[in-house]
Amino acid sequence: MDNAIYVGLSRQITLQRALDIAANNLANTDTTGYKFEELMTGADPVMPAHSKVGSTPVTFVTANGVARDYTQGPLTQTGEPLDVAIDGKGFFQVSTADGTRYTRDGRFMLDPTGKLVTQDGDAVQGGGGDINLDPKKGPVSISATGVISQGGAVVGQMSVVNFDDLSVLSKDGNNLFEDTSNSTPQPATGALIKQGMLEGSNVQPITQITRLIEINRAYAAASDMITSTSDLSKSAVERLGSATS
Amino acid sequence: MQALRTAATGMAAQQLNVEVISNNIANMNTVGFKKQRAEFEDLLYQNVEQVGAQSSSQGTIVPTGIQIGAGVKSGSVYRITTQGTLTNTGNQFDVAINGQGYLQVLLPTGDTAYTRAGNLSINDQGQICTADGYLVQPTIAVPQNATSVTISQSGQVQVTTPGSTTPTVVGQMQLATFINEGGLEAIGDNLFEESAASGAATTGSPGAAGFGQLMQGYTEASNVDPVSEITNLIIAQRAYEMNSKVVTTADQMLSTAVNTKS
Repeated sequence: MDNAIYVGLSRQITLQRALDIAANNLANTDTTGYKFEELMTGADPVMPAHSKVGSTPVTFVTANGVARDYTQGPLTQTGEPLDVAIDGKGFFQVSTADGTRYTRDGRFMLDPTGKLVTQDGDAVQGGGGDINLDPKKGPVSISATGVISQGGAVVGQMSVVNFDDLSVLSKDGNNLFEDTSNSTPQPATGALIKQGMLEGSNVQPITQITRLIEINRAYAAASDMITSTSDLSKSAVERLGSATS
Repeated sequence: MQALRTAATGMAAQQLNVEVISNNIANMNTVGFKKQRAEFEDLLYQNVEQVGAQSSSQGTIVPTGIQIGAGVKSGSVYRITTQGTLTNTGNQFDVAINGQGYLQVLLPTGDTAYTRAGNLSINDQGQICTADGYLVQPTIAVPQNATSVTISQSGQVQVTTPGSTTPTVVGQMQLATFINEGGLEAIGDNLFEESAASGAATTGSPGAAGFGQLMQGYTEASNVDPVSEITNLIIAQRAYEMNSKVVTTADQMLSTAVNTKS
């Protein structure tokens, strides 16, 4: 009973975190290859909110993880020959200064030396490392399996990899994912490369707006509970106090 | 509250988006204009709980971790260099580039700029120049008594003079291409300058491998598609509104917290 205020507070803390995550989703409704997230909450398994374990255990709320939804985002046509989208599961491999990263943002371009890079200038990794193209050889065409050809000749191969367990990935900003385990990604099966297209964010605005309302109301409800618990102890003190006088 | 700052980054990003779209719409009828698109990236993530961290003394492992993103940033504003439609003008000095390449223009500063706006004319000395009077490189002078000027697809400029039955060649137009066209720096007046990102210019004759052809009497219209720009504008406006909803929600939650009686 005395802990009800703190139980309410633990709920409010998780709700604030949930709002931060919903805000990030909404800020990224227009980010290429963005995958939306949601906070998972549950009963705190370690610290009971009540010293005596009764028939109905009282527990604090705790955030126990972020669920990331990897469903396909909508494909939009850009017409740029070096824009590619993955239709299916998998990631492009990018070599950054901090090591290999993975992305579904296929907004690629050539750097001054003719190397295929992301918009941050990190080299895209193909079948045999960096991919080098010469625009003078003619228009670039990329097949659904990632074969890059210019003027009828094969000049490179794009590779798409996938992980058995996507929960090893952590977001690194700049539309990149980092592999936090030592697992080696496998070549993705069934993933098709679409040239001249980009994958939009998979955030569904209406779900996120509903989530905002839900968070807002739940926060107010927790606040009401704190108020009424406080009122209860106040009136208890008043009554018990008057009985002894 | 992180959510307030996150929503602010979202609103700033959509504002940039609207600015880019409005510039595209404003240049819908600009000769040789290439539309731009703002590209966004997610910002850094704060690891509240590391993936795989221990959550208790019993060795419970956090399965997914808690990462909270700080919002969005603009990655780049890139130019989509697809071909614009060719419009017939009938002007004998107008050239449109059908394919890759840029005309070279000498700026008054002595630098070379590049353009796809082929609405050319001649100056008082008969030299071929742009609408702003900058000389097209290499300089080609048309004799004053020329009755007609022909520019071939491969860029050869021929003139016919009175009393002569065969046309005389007075010059050869050249085009420049870049490894990364999107990396050219726009300097206004339909002109671009070479940058570290674009790579050095490669020059060649029109019609050669990797270079487009010249079409006399045509100009290249902008590649802006008004319908898709308006659609993008609506999307940007709605995204802006949704981010402002986050600000309202965060504000209401803060006010709830402040007004909690205890």
